[in-house]
Amino acid sequence: MTASTWKFLKIALLLVVLGSLYFLATLMQRDRHQIRETPVVLTPNCAEKLARHGLVADKHYQSPYVFQQTGQRVKTRGYTDEDIRAIQRGCNIIDDTQGEMAREPGRERWYATRFIRGNQVSCDHCHQGVGDKQDAAGNRLKGSLGLGASWVMADMYDRFTGLLLPFELRQMQCYINSSNGYKPNIADDVVRDVTAYTRFLSAALGLKIGNNYVEQGVDEIPASDTPKQGDDYVRGEALYKAKCASCHGPQGLGLVVDGRVIAPAVAGPNAWNKQSRNYFYYVSTILPGFICRNMPLGQENTLTNQECRDIGFFISNLPRPAGDLQGPLVALQQQVLMRVMPALMRLMESHRQDGAGSAVAPADRVPVAGR
Amino acid sequence: MSSLGTVHKYTAVFRQQWPQTSGNLVIGLTLALVTLPQAVAFSVTLAGVPPHFGIYAAIWGVLFCAMLNPSRVFHGGPNTAMSASIGVTLLPVAAPFGAEYMGYALTLCLMAGMIQMLFYLIRPLGRMLDLISEPVINGLICGIGLFLIFKSLTTFGGLPVNTQVEWPLWIAWHSFLAVLEIGQLHAIEVGLITLATCAILQQFQRLRNWAILIGITAGTLYSEYLDATLGAQNTLIEKIGNLSSIGLVSPSLPLFNQESMPDVIAIIPGAVTLALLGLFQTVAAMRRMNRKAGGFTDSRKAIFSDAVSNCLLPFLSSLPTCASFNRMWLVHRLGSQSRLAIISSAIWLLLLVLFLARLIAIIPMPAMAAVIMLLGANMINWEDIKPHFRDRRETAVFLVSFLSVLFLDLFGAVIVGSILAISYSKWAQAHPNISLRGNVLKIRGNIYYASLPVIESIYHSAIQREGRVTIDVSDCYYIDQEGIRWLAAAKRGQKADFADRRTSQSRREAERRTGGDETRLPGRRRSKPDRRKRTEF
Repeated sequence: MTASTWKFLKIALLLVVLGSLYFLATLMQRDRHQIRETPVVLTPNCAEKLARHGLVADKHYQSPYVFQQTGQRVKTRGYTDEDIRAIQRGCNIIDDTQGEMAREPGRERWYATRFIRGNQVSCDHCHQGVGDKQDAAGNRLKGSLGLGASWVMADMYDRFTGLLLPFELRQMQCYINSSNGYKPNIADDVVRDVTAYTRFLSAALGLKIGNNYVEQGVDEIPASDTPKQGDDYVRGEALYKAKCASCHGPQGLGLVVDGRVIAPAVAGPNAWNKQSRNYFYYVSTILPGFICRNMPLGQENTLTNQECRDIGFFISNLPRPAGDLQGPLVALQQQVLMRVMPALMRLMESHRQDGAGSAVAPADRVPVAGR
Repeated sequence: MSSLGTVHKYTAVFRQQWPQTSGNLVIGLTLALVTLPQAVAFSVTLAGVPPHFGIYAAIWGVLFCAMLNPSRVFHGGPNTAMSASIGVTLLPVAAPFGAEYMGYALTLCLMAGMIQMLFYLIRPLGRMLDLISEPVINGLICGIGLFLIFKSLTTFGGLPVNTQVEWPLWIAWHSFLAVLEIGQLHAIEVGLITLATCAILQQFQRLRNWAILIGITAGTLYSEYLDATLGAQNTLIEKIGNLSSIGLVSPSLPLFNQESMPDVIAIIPGAVTLALLGLFQTVAAMRRMNRKAGGFTDSRKAIFSDAVSNCLLPFLSSLPTCASFNRMWLVHRLGSQSRLAIISSAIWLLLLVLFLARLIAIIPMPAMAAVIMLLGANMINWEDIKPHFRDRRETAVFLVSFLSVLFLDLFGAVIVGSILAISYSKWAQAHPNISLRGNVLKIRGNIYYASLPVIESIYHSAIQREGRVTIDVSDCYYIDQEGIRWLAAAKRGQKADFADRRTSQSRREAERRTGGDETRLPGRRRSKPDRRKRTEF
């Protein structure tokens, strides 16, 4: 083969590769455009939530919630059909990130699971009530991580790093740390739709930019809000077994039945990582705050501050993934621990139960998560 | 009349030199255009400082290095790894783009420069940097090349850059998917036109030097055409932006005061990392380019130029400087003949920023990203890495260094690769070639602490079998103190004889080659070379 022929072939190959990539991009973008135009199939929670907030396409929007709370009819800018589909998709992502209720999980949830490690994490595990947790009387609940209230915090300064974090970048923190995953591009549809939903929630609840609300973030519990007994592993373990293990499993690995997450993992490969602010050793006030205000489900606010800190301390001592910034050695150590410890603990538990004989009732045997 | 003759003489010299000078000036202009987007991108997206920090590094950093370093291909300026290291070090200390953050960035740079100066002043410290072997360097180059391609993907697709440090391979994969799924199609078109133009023109020898310039021009023209026909609000192609506020020089002071001291102390480990990152790359790039260009420039001169530059640059609002693999590679590929090309690149950039800021402002970022991707691809050269695959150990060192860039970081790659290379080298030295024929034990290699267990085991089994052994050290080229003690003990044991079959001439030649350091025996002094000629025990 002559040099000029080889040169020509190289140029032709290059053009074919670049052209193919461009063609592929146009195909994938057309596909995404079609999904944007397709009517959204809502999850039951989202259907109920959005109907209650009166989301319809109109020139103006009047919030039923605001009217119910204040008796005033406040008109705000309305939503187009396109806006509504974005809000609906955003709600679906919050309620069912893994796409367990979707016919085509990847397409309908913008492949959100691509940015999450593990098969359990969903946004509404932390942002309960599809990001808008209310009691029967319609009161928004303290420390429930309301998404509408999060939106009106706007571009906040992060008090841990001093960084100016727009709302989209705060979502990134969720993906990287709380979901132990990867950061989607800030222009990704998954980020845009969740942002659209949270903006709608703030309008539906009548929240104003820059104001503070009870459901904003977590009602943090510092050690100074306890009888100062210290955070105790043994007390935490006993409390965890009594209050949490029946749903989250004896080792915090979560409960998955028929591929549906009943209770998410609080430890192990499907849980938040060591860089997350839920991790007690990183920030000691957030996880206890979340536990006190949101757990156990149906019995919220029944645990004392000290009990919440003890449980948080115990949970954080269970093996979990390392964060991306913690380096390969910590990651390797945690991977080994996550594989070795559950098996060891199961062995010890079975040995203990064999020793105790029939004294252990079958109901105490908590199903181990996994699929 | 004589003055007219002088003018004629100089004119003749100028005419004679002009083709070479003009070539260097074109190379300088190309370098300036390549450095500009890197300078802006590195400072804003990696280091968390305003773009003028990177631009001043590309002007003053390059100029200082070119003045102080005699190499004709050495190109300093802003660097990916160093910029990223600044961002990572300062993230917990202050908010990016704030006045305090910039002060700490300058302090960090100054401390790194001072640490680098220590590496220059303490010679053994500088020599430590030479422990990086060629497979490690090539692994680094290929890894950085791939990293540059990954890093440019989002800009290529007209998307915002993900700034947080994450595992680069996953960023790359997600960025690639993001470009396909949500990238701005017009931005991708501009990037593809630039990339295709550059890559095609590079195939032709006569157009090679102009490829990047023409590529950027083609991309810019297409972007302007799109803006004119569709409207800038619809194309959404990001441009470099207005740089007209940047002047000739911007004096600055690092942040050193009583309040900032705890934070300054906290960032000292970061300064050490920054200094080492710079030096590793500089020394590695110098060695690499020395071999490519067929010349030799002492890497100490590069250490000196880096150290001095990095001590001065914090006072000029600039990022730190170190050798840039990709730009040095470009200088070499473009066939630079003298340092004029490098110096002119700094001056070109200064002129461009001062007088053509409006023109530069319309250069689309996707076109710049395409150029950086092309540079990254050019750094992965099969001809350079092929020799490493002929030897199993070199293959391992190369692959480990290459993968470490992608899985760890640049610093980690240097450390892991170097440890592996040194381990292999020591392992080979610790296993000398020993043959036993009759009662002659011939040792080819080193007799030193690590090889002694191997030698002793064969020696003792030979003693048991033969009763008396002759140790032939003709092919030994290094014996350490422990080896000498063992040989002396063997002699005292009266079961070993010693033989050195080299001729007097070959011993003299060997001694001349090694400066008399070869096979020194117990009790022998270097001042008596005539007695060393007979290797007696």
